[in-house]
Amino acid sequence: MVCAPFEYVRAGTFDEAVGVLIEHGEDAQLLAGGQSLVPMLALRLARPTVLVDINDIGALPPEADGAVLPLPTLTRHRVLLDSPVVAREVPLLADCVRHIGNVRVRNRGTVGGSMAHADPTGEIACVALTLDAQVVAHGPAGRRTIGARDFFVTYLTTALEPAEVLAEVRFPVLRPGQGWSFQEMVRRVSDFAVVAVSASVDLEPDGATVRAIDVALAGVADRPVLAEREALAPLLGTTAARDLVASAARSVADATSPEGDVHASGAYRRRLVDVLTRRAITEALDRAREGSIAA
Amino acid sequence: MTLETEAVERFRVVGGSPAHHDFVDKVKGSLLYAADWKLPGMLHGKVVRSAVAPGRMVSVDIQEARAIPGVVAVLTAQDVPSNRVVEHASGGLGELTVEMPVLAHDRVRYVGEPVAVVAAVSAEIAEQAAELVAVDYADLPGVFDAEQALREDAPRVHEDGNVLVNWRLSSGDVEAGLAEADVVVEGEYRSQHVEHAYLEPEAGVGWIENGVLTLRVSTQVIEHVTDIAAILELPENKVRVIASYMGGGFGGKEDMTVEPYLALLVWHTKRPVRMIWDRQESMLASTKRHPFVMRYRTGVRRDGTILAQHVDIIGDAGAYPCLSARVLFAGAALSCGPYRTPNASIRSRAVFTNNVPTSAFRGFGAMQVVFGYESQMDRIAERLGLPADEVRRRNFLARGDFIPTGESLETAVAVPETLDRALSRLGERGEPSGPTKRVGRGFACGMQPYGRTIWFYDRASAWLSLLGDGTLLIRTGVTDLGAGQAASLCQIASEILGVALDDISIYIGDTALNPPAGGTFATRQLYMSGNALLTAARELVDRIAPVAAELLDCPADALVFQDGLVRVGKGERLGTGLSLAELVKECGDRGVSTAHLSTWRAEAGTFDPSTGKGGSFPDYTYGTHAADVEVDVETGEVVVLRYVASHDVGRAINPVRVEGQIQGGAMQGLGYALLEDIVLEEGNNVSTLFANYLIPNALDMPDIEVEIVESGEGKGPLGARGIGEPPIAPCAAAIANAITDAIGRRPSRLPMTPERVLELLAEEDQ
Amino acid sequence: MSKVSVNLSVNGSQHEVWVFPNDLLLDVLHDELGLADVRYGCGEGVCGTCTVQLDGEPVSACLLFAVQVTGREITTVRGLLGEDDSLHPIQECFLRHGGAQCGFCTPGMILTAHSLAERANRPSRAEIRYELVGNLCRCTGYTKILDAVEEYVDSRPSEGA
Repeated sequence: MVCAPFEYVRAGTFDEAVGVLIEHGEDAQLLAGGQSLVPMLALRLARPTVLVDINDIGALPPEADGAVLPLPTLTRHRVLLDSPVVAREVPLLADCVRHIGNVRVRNRGTVGGSMAHADPTGEIACVALTLDAQVVAHGPAGRRTIGARDFFVTYLTTALEPAEVLAEVRFPVLRPGQGWSFQEMVRRVSDFAVVAVSASVDLEPDGATVRAIDVALAGVADRPVLAEREALAPLLGTTAARDLVASAARSVADATSPEGDVHASGAYRRRLVDVLTRRAITEALDRAREGSIAA
Repeated sequence: MTLETEAVERFRVVGGSPAHHDFVDKVKGSLLYAADWKLPGMLHGKVVRSAVAPGRMVSVDIQEARAIPGVVAVLTAQDVPSNRVVEHASGGLGELTVEMPVLAHDRVRYVGEPVAVVAAVSAEIAEQAAELVAVDYADLPGVFDAEQALREDAPRVHEDGNVLVNWRLSSGDVEAGLAEADVVVEGEYRSQHVEHAYLEPEAGVGWIENGVLTLRVSTQVIEHVTDIAAILELPENKVRVIASYMGGGFGGKEDMTVEPYLALLVWHTKRPVRMIWDRQESMLASTKRHPFVMRYRTGVRRDGTILAQHVDIIGDAGAYPCLSARVLFAGAALSCGPYRTPNASIRSRAVFTNNVPTSAFRGFGAMQVVFGYESQMDRIAERLGLPADEVRRRNFLARGDFIPTGESLETAVAVPETLDRALSRLGERGEPSGPTKRVGRGFACGMQPYGRTIWFYDRASAWLSLLGDGTLLIRTGVTDLGAGQAASLCQIASEILGVALDDISIYIGDTALNPPAGGTFATRQLYMSGNALLTAARELVDRIAPVAAELLDCPADALVFQDGLVRVGKGERLGTGLSLAELVKECGDRGVSTAHLSTWRAEAGTFDPSTGKGGSFPDYTYGTHAADVEVDVETGEVVVLRYVASHDVGRAINPVRVEGQIQGGAMQGLGYALLEDIVLEEGNNVSTLFANYLIPNALDMPDIEVEIVESGEGKGPLGARGIGEPPIAPCAAAIANAITDAIGRRPSRLPMTPERVLELLAEEDQ
Repeated sequence: MSKVSVNLSVNGSQHEVWVFPNDLLLDVLHDELGLADVRYGCGEGVCGTCTVQLDGEPVSACLLFAVQVTGREITTVRGLLGEDDSLHPIQECFLRHGGAQCGFCTPGMILTAHSLAERANRPSRAEIRYELVGNLCRCTGYTKILDAVEEYVDSRPSEGA
């Protein structure tokens, strides 16, 4: 197991990284935490000729900026897990990180790396979709913002241009009346999700009526996806009775057509979407109601 | 049934759990495994493997690979002096003779089959060269399922046919027994390909020293030295194999792994070579556990008494024989489990396919069938409306009872005690943790042989030398899987000779320097080498005790070897004596040698494959595992809440290591039951990533609770039975029975994935 | 592609090593620096046999390139030994409980558990299990490992106690 040879370049700033990307084009590959990339290099599934290590860019500890929690690209999973700021401001993100890999993966893996790798089972990507996070891309012409919901294109492919570096992911902080839930089924604890579902529910000030509901799914398509809006629409404006939640979850599942792999068939995955979506919405509703009472 | 009080009185070192030299090195990280040697000028070896199969090899082009700077050798079939390994695993009792090439020459039969081997100055260059070896294949029709391979029109994996061996065992009259039965219960059970997944991948370093080809490798069997010599057409005394302490083996290092490839490269280049198989390479091409298809028909009386059982087993041998013939024999011989079966008809076939070869794996055929017979026992209980334990108790074998091969059991069958201990340890059942959860309890009993099949005339030797300062040297050819094979021998030596454990050095696993002990497999090492060591130690005592007796002026049988001293153990002079160092000196002055070699032979016998009668195994280890599970009826997920494993180990030489064996074996068995599956699609392994092959981690399963029973009746040293393999056997059946108890539907296919459990529940809904 | 010089700080010693950019930290530690306690097990970051502490936190040495860790402090299990080669208390616990069989996973297991103990205040058995999920063991069934780690963390002074 030996990686094919490459040239190693350290970039201390986003501009430096972009410069290398411009110079080498598609032969260059960014290295952040490396927890997905390095195995691919070692197995020779990827063979960049230039590896651009952006770890020196670093990341300040998470700090909310008004209604947004901006997370620099090199924020490690470990920081998300330990940070009281993240637990308070974006608890859905804190919840999902518990499911990511093992302690070594979390010590190295980064928010930006997870998003840019765009694995179909990515937990952070799933949460970014649910919360409609914004991705800030740093490119030759400066920075632009891409909605998470426009970010994932297909298998391991994002809307980033070849010379762009993901600089930051901006998560909306928890709102009054908002509840959340992250549900994941794995064959073995700590492994890639068979299916993961993350849900967010906003209630009206009455603490009962659903104002908004967002659900994202991992492990059901070529990329993390948002659940069908029409499937969830019947819950809006209602108090989300149990049978209504169950039928919405079934509709969410029916709208998916997952493929099978070594861990589960497509049909089983669809079944999991149904069950986990129902559980996620139910828990999110419970949290939203509790939050409303507390508020 | 325990002899604990007596044991405490009788033994000083045996029965305790001292930490040995190997443990200290392991926690320090200072033990050197097979990949940890580096020699000056060492090259790096890499096997080139087929990417398709089956296929005819149209051309092999090594020019481009050979041309890379730093490549020292690229070898193909034509470079192998004698390009075949012939395995007669049945011991000549009737399997096909099929040659396995070291490097494929005209065709490849499974994906991952070695076709060339490369040596280069760096691992990176070796890898690059391996990629450039160009082989053109013409597709051949393949067969990837053992049952399909049995059809008349199936493509032939080998010219002589697809049935490697067909074992038949029978006793009594099965048809008459079934006719007499009140109830006949039928079941079909299927198991999967499983990977050993030792944490240490296959590895070794080879070099030439004094004209001798020397390999230091991770192997369970240094006796492969003869195979290596044959392949290279060298005299056997010109090849030496040293076994490093293994990072796990589980049967996967029982066949040769890196040895022939390393040997070829070393001999060809005359330079040291290291070879380490990539994990993914090991997953792809190392031998696997046989998938079994098992069909049972069991006839019982209304009270649960077994009258007759018909068993048909088909095992997927993969593309080459390896040890399949013996694995399928063990499956057949143990297929009725620890139950009296007066009328039995058993057929067990190993069938070639174009899948990766299967071979030895902890449990060795005798574990797959536990899933069969213990599912049958629960089915019988269900049908008759009797408690599951009662049906078993009615049929348990006892000393003197006959098994289907016609042999009678010579030692205690303490399986009822293990059942009692396992069930009472579980205690009260828990409540489901939520509305979608169902809890269930299940258990399974099993018996597993220890020692080789007795027609192999098994033997083991050990050599001891009491040195001038009273310390002890042990030399024996055993290999150490990591289970403490060497340490147990030290403990026995310390017991008999009174040398402190810290004063004992043991040298193992070397064909040149140590007396042969046979490989570490078949749960034979404590049984065989333990007895050899015990015999050697006692004989050494017998030789030197008279010298001490003369000096101490007492009868020799009054002496006690203890705490580095020889003392008078009886009478008023208790406590006086002389040190072992003094005794060694006195022996030297009298020309009495304090070194001693002893060879211990297992009982031997014969087996007649035409009648299915004769001797099979020396003895068995019995046990019961019991589990509580919780099933999520919406997702099919199974959580093991509690797990108890109880075995009669005869005598626990080192209780902590015995517990460790049982806990580790049970965990491996739980992986087999619920998680692990090498998925082959038309022979293509899609589970080669370690991330995709799910061995249990620290969160997946509960603590394994152990109940050790000591009947004191094993055939091993001091009454011990082997415990290496037995604890893996009952797990799948125990879990299957618990799931059945929880959801009212019976799993019959392994692993019992959430998806399969959900499918069972869906059947119920219909 | 040519070799570059990197300064590695391992177990308190400084090493200048010439490496290729694609040399994994695992291979450099094992083959160049002779640290046989850092072991190849899978190359995917899954099994944990190559675990080292990077500035006190466990990482997979198979997923880092040696060129990446200049200026960082690397600790292998040998680094836990006392000056006279004496066992660290956590190693004593593994020894006492039989928390090793073949021993191949043991250094990674100990390093991961050690860093948990340094960071967390008396973690529970459940927390220890969670921390150790990425260190696979095929021999022990984990029970004795968990017993060993539990004894070690319980033996440490509790924060605020």
